[in-house]
Amino acid sequence: MMNTTWIIAGKENAQMLRSQRGMVWLLIFSGLLSAFSLLLVSNTELSLLDNAQVVYMMAGTVMAAGALLAAILGSDAYAGEKERGTLVPLLCAPIATNALLAGKVLGLLAAWGVMLMTSVPYLWAVGASGQNLGPALFYLVLFGTPVVLGFGYLAMALSARTGSVMTSQFTTVTLLMLSASPLLIGPGLRGTIIGRALDAVNPFAGALNTFDSVIIDSEPFSAQTARFLLVAVWLVLCLLAARRSANRPDFQ
Amino acid sequence: MIDIENLQLIIEGKEILKGIDMHLRPGDIYGLLGPNGAGKSTTIFALLGLRARESGRVSVLGGDPADDAVAIRRSVGVMPEKAGFYEWMTALDYLKWYSRFYDSKSTGRDQGTMLENVGLGKEAQRPIGTYSRGMKQRLAVARALISHPKLLILDEPTNGLDPKGRREIHDLLVGFASDGKTGVLLCTHLLDDVDRLCNRIGIIDNGRTRLEGSITDLLTEQRGGQRYRLRLENGPDTGNLPAGMTVLGHEGGWWRVQVQVKPSEGPSSLWGELWGRGWKILEIRPEASSLEEVYMSHTGQERHQAQEVA
Repeated sequence: MMNTTWIIAGKENAQMLRSQRGMVWLLIFSGLLSAFSLLLVSNTELSLLDNAQVVYMMAGTVMAAGALLAAILGSDAYAGEKERGTLVPLLCAPIATNALLAGKVLGLLAAWGVMLMTSVPYLWAVGASGQNLGPALFYLVLFGTPVVLGFGYLAMALSARTGSVMTSQFTTVTLLMLSASPLLIGPGLRGTIIGRALDAVNPFAGALNTFDSVIIDSEPFSAQTARFLLVAVWLVLCLLAARRSANRPDFQ
Repeated sequence: MIDIENLQLIIEGKEILKGIDMHLRPGDIYGLLGPNGAGKSTTIFALLGLRARESGRVSVLGGDPADDAVAIRRSVGVMPEKAGFYEWMTALDYLKWYSRFYDSKSTGRDQGTMLENVGLGKEAQRPIGTYSRGMKQRLAVARALISHPKLLILDEPTNGLDPKGRREIHDLLVGFASDGKTGVLLCTHLLDDVDRLCNRIGIIDNGRTRLEGSITDLLTEQRGGQRYRLRLENGPDTGNLPAGMTVLGHEGGWWRVQVQVKPSEGPSSLWGELWGRGWKILEIRPEASSLEEVYMSHTGQERHQAQEVA
């Protein structure tokens, strides 16, 4: 099974590079980070922000961009293959359904890895020559990865179940926007009962609050256990949904 | 190689397959025929374990697709109806990549030879996106054959091919099945392909197998219900016909009739009886019994019955 998984992952990665889709995404991502960095250093009010605050915002942006990529790639994983007529030949080959899913996720993981590496110089730059860079990267990997993969799995589940890229993308991106709303609604509303309840079940908010806690408030990892559990549960639930859908994908 | 007994399958609450029977032995080139929507492709997907059956017995190469789907697919080459490829890959790279699912020891030379065999040797390094539809069909055949399968399943393999391309695919299939150890399941609506290639057929309609057997036997059987054209001296009394005879119509001075007699007896006595009932027969011409007749007489029955009831 592992061999099959790597064969599929290899194709996913090659497709990202050789179909130029990956390069376009990387350019967009780099442009977004450049614009954000420029804003942080050139805007009169934003430039007064604390160094840790800036790194925290940048880390949240990287995770949001990763989740968006996961929604797009995940939606394409089954439904895109179906629409291009390439899913049936894959299903007719001796590939276990779990291996196919794992190969697709490895491809997504590689893309997320590239995004993380791309974000390093930006995090270093906005963090005044590397301050808070270590915690930011560590917690982006530890908390951001399950959140991003969860959105990828969710998009794959919808993609396999519905056979429609549009439906899967629309649903996953809408959910992502709702999850990312703590970024948008501001700290005032997040302090209310509704805001706190949303934070308690929202994996995106869980990861974001961890960034806040460790980067800005310098709290230890032990204080993040509940949030880590939240993103882990999110990942497992999305994985189960994806496995269930991938066992009987809509391919006809 | 394939044994299916009374296969029933439901998709989203709708009964798609209501009773499929199929028996394919080594050396057979089996034509699976049926109108659009009859359930041909769904039957193929059930054979590969991609659709779970509701009831019935399915055995492919001695295994049950419900339990051994991946093992079965390792020994089966499939050409699906939609020949989808990654268009950014070259044909050679694609075959190299795809064959890794079957056998990690195969070399680039094997794939190159296979592309030569399907007439794509010179185009091997071109991206698939630049291929014509016919070239993609050939590549799909190469993909199905690349694993040297024991069983080959092809869904409309000659769609979109010119006569020369069709002939080349026919030759490949005949060559593949010639060792007598492998089998081919050919799913098509092109009766000419079946006539040329297959030794056995199964006709399915509305999710049920209507007919199965060797083409020779079925055509012989059909001759028991042979059609004739009769040229008559006079206008006959079509209301007074002998048992076993049906008038099909009157075209261009010829009366078309169908007679049901035992193959051992022949229609001679029937012609005598007709003469006695006032049919002054000047000339009798048998209409060649063809696969098309066999096909037409076993498809669309339920629709016709439904229309009659309505």
